[in-house]
Amino acid sequence: MDKQRQKELERLFKTKLHAAMRLYLETCTHCGLCVEACHVYQSMPETRYSAVGRAEIIRKIFLKYFKLEGKIAPWLGEVIELDDIALDRIYDAAYSCTGCRRCMAYCPFGIDTQMIMSIAKLLLVGADKAPELLTMLADMSIAKGQDVESSQAAFADAVADIEPEVEALWPTPPGRRTIPVGVANADVLYVGLSGKDSIIPAAAILNAAGVNWTLSSFEAVNFGAFLGDPDRTQKIAARIVAEAKRLQVKEVAVVECGTAYRVLKQQIGRQPFAVVAFVELIARYLREGKIKLKQSVAEKLTYHDPCQVGRNGGIYEDPRFVISQLAADFVEATPNRELNWCCGGGGGLVAMGEHEFRMKSARVKADQIKATGAEMICTICENCYSQLADLNEYYGLGIKVESLANLAAHALQR
Amino acid sequence: MTFDPLTLSVVAAAGAVAATGAPEAVTSATASGAAHTGLALVLDKVEYFIMVPMVYLALSFCLIAIVVRIVSIARAPAPPYSLRLYPAAKQPGLAALADTLTLPQVRRHKPLFWVFLMLFHISFLFLILGHLDILPQISLLPETSRHMLGAGAVGLGVTLPLVYFLFRRFRTPIREITVPADYLLLVLLLFLCLLGDMMSWGNSWAANGFVMTKQNFAQYFNGLVRFTFADPRRVLHGSHYHFVVLHVLLANIFFLVLPFSKVAHAFFALPTNLLRRR
Repeated sequence: MDKQRQKELERLFKTKLHAAMRLYLETCTHCGLCVEACHVYQSMPETRYSAVGRAEIIRKIFLKYFKLEGKIAPWLGEVIELDDIALDRIYDAAYSCTGCRRCMAYCPFGIDTQMIMSIAKLLLVGADKAPELLTMLADMSIAKGQDVESSQAAFADAVADIEPEVEALWPTPPGRRTIPVGVANADVLYVGLSGKDSIIPAAAILNAAGVNWTLSSFEAVNFGAFLGDPDRTQKIAARIVAEAKRLQVKEVAVVECGTAYRVLKQQIGRQPFAVVAFVELIARYLREGKIKLKQSVAEKLTYHDPCQVGRNGGIYEDPRFVISQLAADFVEATPNRELNWCCGGGGGLVAMGEHEFRMKSARVKADQIKATGAEMICTICENCYSQLADLNEYYGLGIKVESLANLAAHALQR
Repeated sequence: MTFDPLTLSVVAAAGAVAATGAPEAVTSATASGAAHTGLALVLDKVEYFIMVPMVYLALSFCLIAIVVRIVSIARAPAPPYSLRLYPAAKQPGLAALADTLTLPQVRRHKPLFWVFLMLFHISFLFLILGHLDILPQISLLPETSRHMLGAGAVGLGVTLPLVYFLFRRFRTPIREITVPADYLLLVLLLFLCLLGDMMSWGNSWAANGFVMTKQNFAQYFNGLVRFTFADPRRVLHGSHYHFVVLHVLLANIFFLVLPFSKVAHAFFALPTNLLRRR
């Protein structure tokens, strides 16, 4: 790596050195408590797959380029030079971390390894070593935001195509659109994913609740966040923010997607609309009596707390309330809530493929599911859903994997 | 600027007499100071440097460097978004304080480690109090007591955990995440504490004490806080003095490296925990 590139990466590194990052980089005592917190380490016990193992690569680069002690006595902290070998290690660290932040619940100081890995991911972006697929998907999302008009006709056709499936779940009252698009002053702007499975159950539930809602032209998933590129992350989120402002909606309801929820809920600053996860709406409509569910799940059911919605988003009880309305035989996974094991598919891994790594690194998750004795598992994150379905097949768990919104939509009753 | 221990000792001795009413300290000091020549004189000067000027230098450096480090972090931009972990605490400040002081995460996941950590940190607080207690101006124990605070138990309370902390670093997976600075810091602290133990145990548990009494140390400390630049040799008698010097030397080194070491977590633990809770 030439000096100019090294300097550029050093500059990028510096852009991430806010006060919290400085505390995270300078407070670790190498106590090792976080080691066993990571599902990857639990499944594949190598130090490089522990939170501290990953963070240390960034910490040692920080020590070399930004700390006096790293310059005076580099051997004391075993500093790392920012070169091509280091970039390979950085890639290994960044894309073996799902950003679940379970380690944060173990750390006596609460050090956020996902935040430290955001430096790693940004360095990879700066060095043109970020995963090509994620980069391409992020750029496509941004491009769609810049030229939304050209895709509107195709989008309207696609929406019309799936309306019968919504009707099959819940007939729309006369005079109302089954899937409304571009409705100004709507109470709810629902942001789905590109697949119809994320739209049909939500549309049925929203129609059953009789709320004034509209479907977003954009998909919620934020590949910029997976990529760790703050610029792309904000551009992708800005499309939805602009649409919500243009339509003057009261609430933006985010599809079952953990990263999208966290970005829109926590990372776009103060906005004139509220951001909720779709499960919060279901629970609210149930409590308000706007919808009713029948106990339609006969199987023994367990629930997976998605990291970005639970541990990092604070939604633990609403999904359990919804489950209590539709399943008689519910069993908690152990551990659950704050300490639930990550499914192993976050951080962009599902989008990237990485099948073998995802499966091997999530053995502990498969064991956890097996131990529940459940016949069905549901969750509220599309990423987790895909990963759990893959784990089910890989480990032969013999369990049904479901989205909670889908279960709720099929349990709707008058 | 240079300091002449022999000249300064006269002032020191006068100060010591005024402060403690111990004329024998003056006699001993004069005799001891005049006897040394050659290598012994060089050693005297080195020891004096360690015992007096270096203490001021190390403490001043430590304080300034810590302040600089804290200010540089405090002046860095705020994080772009909340880094809270859920469930949210009703009282984030109190929850962060509880996380910092009682280490519930460690207790839950590594109970034995937690016992040693709590023992170490509580003992360390008593260790600071014990050193303050030596000052005649702050008397937690009666001034006439020859015991250090805790009668040696406080020293044991820091030493035993340090041995545990050091040895746990030799085991996988902690060994793999340990860097030389971690070992050196623990070794430094361990030897520092062992030398301290020698004095506190000696005074508390042996019939004749450590030759030097707590009152002698009080005279030395009194000279330091009054900036008399007195030669401690005048009030700390006997061959054990060299161990005291070694103890102070290691303490000085500890203060010099503290702002650059992992000990800085003492200052950053609370704000870092606040990020998780707020």
